[in-house]
Amino acid sequence: MILIALPLAILWFGGVILALLDGTIRWVGWLAVGILASALGATVLLAREVLDHGTQEMRLGGWDAGIGIALRVDALGIVFALLSLTVLLCALSFETLEGIGARIFPSLTLFMALGLTGIFFTGDAFNFYVFFEISMIAAYVMASYGETPRQFRAAFLFIVVNLLGSVLFLIAIAGIYHTTGWLDMEKIRAQMPLVAENPAILTATLIFVAFSIKLGLFPFHFWLPAVYTGTRPAVAAILSGALANIGSYGILRFGADLFPRELKEGATVLIVLGTASIVYGGIQAVARHTPNEVLAYSAIGQVGYILIAIAIGGKAGYAAAILYTVLNALNKTLLFLSVNLRGWVIGSAFAIGAFSVAGVPPVAGFLGKLGLFEVAVDNDRPWFVILIFAGGALSFVYMFELYRRRFWMPGEGEGTLRSQQVLIAVIAVAIVVLGLAPEPLLHLTRHAASVLPERLP
Amino acid sequence: MTIVFSAAVAILFGAGAYLVLKRDLIRLIAGMVLIGNAANLFIMSAALRRGSAAVIPFDGTFSDPVVQSMTLTAIVISFSITALMLALTYRVYGSHDSMDIVQLSLAEEEQSELEEQDDDARDVAALDDADDAEAIRERGAGADRRYDASPPAGDGVNGGDT
Repeated sequence: MILIALPLAILWFGGVILALLDGTIRWVGWLAVGILASALGATVLLAREVLDHGTQEMRLGGWDAGIGIALRVDALGIVFALLSLTVLLCALSFETLEGIGARIFPSLTLFMALGLTGIFFTGDAFNFYVFFEISMIAAYVMASYGETPRQFRAAFLFIVVNLLGSVLFLIAIAGIYHTTGWLDMEKIRAQMPLVAENPAILTATLIFVAFSIKLGLFPFHFWLPAVYTGTRPAVAAILSGALANIGSYGILRFGADLFPRELKEGATVLIVLGTASIVYGGIQAVARHTPNEVLAYSAIGQVGYILIAIAIGGKAGYAAAILYTVLNALNKTLLFLSVNLRGWVIGSAFAIGAFSVAGVPPVAGFLGKLGLFEVAVDNDRPWFVILIFAGGALSFVYMFELYRRRFWMPGEGEGTLRSQQVLIAVIAVAIVVLGLAPEPLLHLTRHAASVLPERLP
Repeated sequence: MTIVFSAAVAILFGAGAYLVLKRDLIRLIAGMVLIGNAANLFIMSAALRRGSAAVIPFDGTFSDPVVQSMTLTAIVISFSITALMLALTYRVYGSHDSMDIVQLSLAEEEQSELEEQDDDARDVAALDDADDAEAIRERGAGADRRYDASPPAGDGVNGGDT
């Protein structure tokens, strides 16, 4: 199935070519947008194939099964790939309209898209690590985009913490290889139940910590506000809308798919950390004043819901987690892009994003909360229902406090480009439309959850 | 053999962790390099079999080639990230005249204080208290190169936004 390699090839060659060009020139920026859009187009073609005919597979270099590295795309991977490419496309178009300030930025965005797509398409654990590093290195450089002293500090913190996470993940991969004898995910899935309990739990814990750092979950969150506060809006949108998807995808793929037994044993830990994340993120967000900081703490709070949905598990739990990831990424993209601008179009778009975070119908965020609510009620978890409402109330408070500060107060009248207003309005309308006509999205997330195994008894 | 490997991994990782907690950025990077190499050694020790070099023709038992290729990839990646970190340290040094973590975090605190004050000033200004806002802005600007952690100058007017 050669179509699998197509988005990767487009992004790879595009990234290399753009690295040689000066990204501050406007047409180079639009060229990058074009390349990203064509990769998204190829992914959509692939998505139709995957949704109609099930998992697609391709062996690189024509090696035999079990020797060659496999690219394997299932519905879960394709949902995350579509989401990440869409977010990157929005952020790159936004930055190109604004005027790109660093020559390397378009190329970095394409390399990050390559890394993310590769992560979601690969069927090999070590290959996962390599693509993971490709996207992280692009993110490390991006964090210093803007080149103010503060961004250098933030980038340094970002590298040190996330590099530690990557090293932990690498150690876990070596552990998987030693205990199962395979790097291919299908083989690992088959071998995992035979592995002794202690090494399996250790490996699973390392993987969980590595992905929690990417997600910015409560005890591993400390790098996140500093990085998000310092960066430019487009970079913050990319980090929280695209890069953070690695965390939820990683926990779903490795936890729910490859380590179901360990996920079940660790469910209590996930629930406790998720709850702490929701409460801590919400309260900190209420207390903060700078817009990016509020949104950063809001991001910490939102991942708590995803984690609890995964911990409760089952098809419905996984579907709710995927749906919440998709909506959260779209919300964060809209909010980070619009919060530093001015004008009534931006204000209304921001209000839509705020409603979506708080989970008010008919905006799409309501679907995410509804999905969680169903999971909580079906699994007889009253405390989770309470948590959803308390967390929702907190997010309502901090989002509208932020809205009041940014859009009700007279402030410096920074002129916003008409074209940027149109872009942000398009994202906002998309979020409303997703809320009004949710069937396709719900179908897609249920399909994605159906590739994960049923919860263990 | 396993015990030798685990001891080496533990010592490398421990020394790396010790260096990461130091104040100096270069030492911190050296610590990250050590931790990365501890991971590389761990991959090597995760080999499924040991023996002669895995080159055809094999004689008897040959060592596991998969871990070797994994380690090679990991070494290349950690090398490139080290280069990136050193370049970034140079830029940090260029913009702060310091490679001391404590100095950097003081600069960070100062920045967030300034932003809080700016924010308060905007709120106060919106309440038609323009003189106050002006005063707060001036005091904020005065705090530009202050590296000691004295209380924020805008504290007195925090009531303005309630």
